[in-house]
Amino acid sequence: MENNLVSEEIGSRAAGAPSVPLSCTRRQTLIWGGASLLGLSALEEVLARGYDRPLIIMEQAEGMIMADPVLCVGCGRCELACTEFNDGKAAPSLARIKIDRNLNFGPPGATPWRAGHGNWGDGLIVQDLCRQCPHPVPCANMCPEGAIVVSPDTKARVVDPERCTGCGICLRACPWEMITFDPESRKASKCHLCAGKPKCVAACPAGALRYTSWYDLTGRIPLRRPYQPPLLPPLTVSCQECHLPGQGQNVREIWSMLRGLWSGGGGGRPAGGIGFKWIDMAGAIFVPLTIGAVAIHALLRKVQKK
Amino acid sequence: MNRPYLHPPALRIWHWLNAAIVMALIATGLDLRFHGIAALAPRDPALLWHKGLGLALIAVSIFWFVYSVASGNLRRHYGIKRGDLRGMAAQTRYYLGAIFTGGANPFPGTPAAKFNPLQKIAYNAVMFILLPIQAVTGLLFMNIPPLRDWLLAGELIGLLGAAHTLCSYLLILYLIVHLYMATLGETFFAHTRAMITGYEDAAQPPGQEEGNRT
Repeated sequence: MENNLVSEEIGSRAAGAPSVPLSCTRRQTLIWGGASLLGLSALEEVLARGYDRPLIIMEQAEGMIMADPVLCVGCGRCELACTEFNDGKAAPSLARIKIDRNLNFGPPGATPWRAGHGNWGDGLIVQDLCRQCPHPVPCANMCPEGAIVVSPDTKARVVDPERCTGCGICLRACPWEMITFDPESRKASKCHLCAGKPKCVAACPAGALRYTSWYDLTGRIPLRRPYQPPLLPPLTVSCQECHLPGQGQNVREIWSMLRGLWSGGGGGRPAGGIGFKWIDMAGAIFVPLTIGAVAIHALLRKVQKK
Repeated sequence: MNRPYLHPPALRIWHWLNAAIVMALIATGLDLRFHGIAALAPRDPALLWHKGLGLALIAVSIFWFVYSVASGNLRRHYGIKRGDLRGMAAQTRYYLGAIFTGGANPFPGTPAAKFNPLQKIAYNAVMFILLPIQAVTGLLFMNIPPLRDWLLAGELIGLLGAAHTLCSYLLILYLIVHLYMATLGETFFAHTRAMITGYEDAAQPPGQEEGNRT
């Protein structure tokens, strides 16, 4: 009886379509079951392959926006300027600088059942801004499409809209929740420093925003939520490979620099270097040359003495 | 044996203090350089050591300057004299030729003039050009409130970094040559021992060989 009911219901759903056999034979069960098992085991393989994805190391951003919450009056003009420039509309919820989520004009929210509307504090105005993380860049590392790239002008981390599929993984990867998601275009976006002339800074009437050269704030500003490292274990190990003392990193960098020199540019460069490239190159050439010259001098003395 | 007394105790102590500080500065400096300043935490131990040692080097150099002026060390051994250009040429010829064939050093260190002309020029350049540049740029890097804002506004940080880096490479080059030249004495450690004890085991002046003495 139950079979009949089910088939009737399915039949009514597929009304108008030519009648197809809806029952599942034992043969099909075995085939699909086996295929799913195979698929699941392959999934594990694919996930495991994701683990040894190379760590994305980006060039350091040149600038960043510094916010002074003491000066902020919470007018939200920065958000309007941001979305006007980037999205062509006034939509504070899409702004890359986030003021409104900390504002609350309702009850103070002192009691748990009357919490206010501010996400991170009621009536507390703290401008939230992208820190332009040094590597590891959590959003860039977690993006499955490699859509978070370095912008050529300010070296800011930007979302490439061509590659973004709107999966929203970066929204969860950022420990400060600084990625914006536009539900209309279904694309993520983030602060890209407006080619070095941030519109929010220009719009701020209180002087609470400043565009300065980049300074590491990532370790100084408390996280907006408990940080669960988005880096998978093998990637964490590869951080330590570079950052523990006594590694051959210097040698490798100088080597790649020299290689870049005679292959005509495109070589590596010490990360975040201030100053001019040629100085390091000259140093990498002249220090070994001098050591070599001194060694040859000593050798010649020894040979002549005999 | 001919053992001129070259280095007074104050200068010996200064030299070894200076050597230790400069070595540590080079080590921490290379560490900072190749890990990248931007990727460092503001209270990275290498950064703090580099700053502290830099201040120590400035203090030690000021001591050296005051002592040298007061004791006449500067005037006697560092002053450029007439004929030094020809002396430099002679010294260069010695290092590039005569040293291999067992020729005599044209300017052996004596208490009256312990540096040869090349040495004099190099030490003058290090003490009066390179170290002051390093000290000034290094001090400007420190977070001195009004200066920091002016430097950031004028985008001078990059230029200062370039100068600091360039001079540090020059100092490293100088140090390599200095360490090698320190082994060119009568024996391998003759100059080093002189820097510790003050007395140089120098070659016999001509005409005073061992056999000729009573």
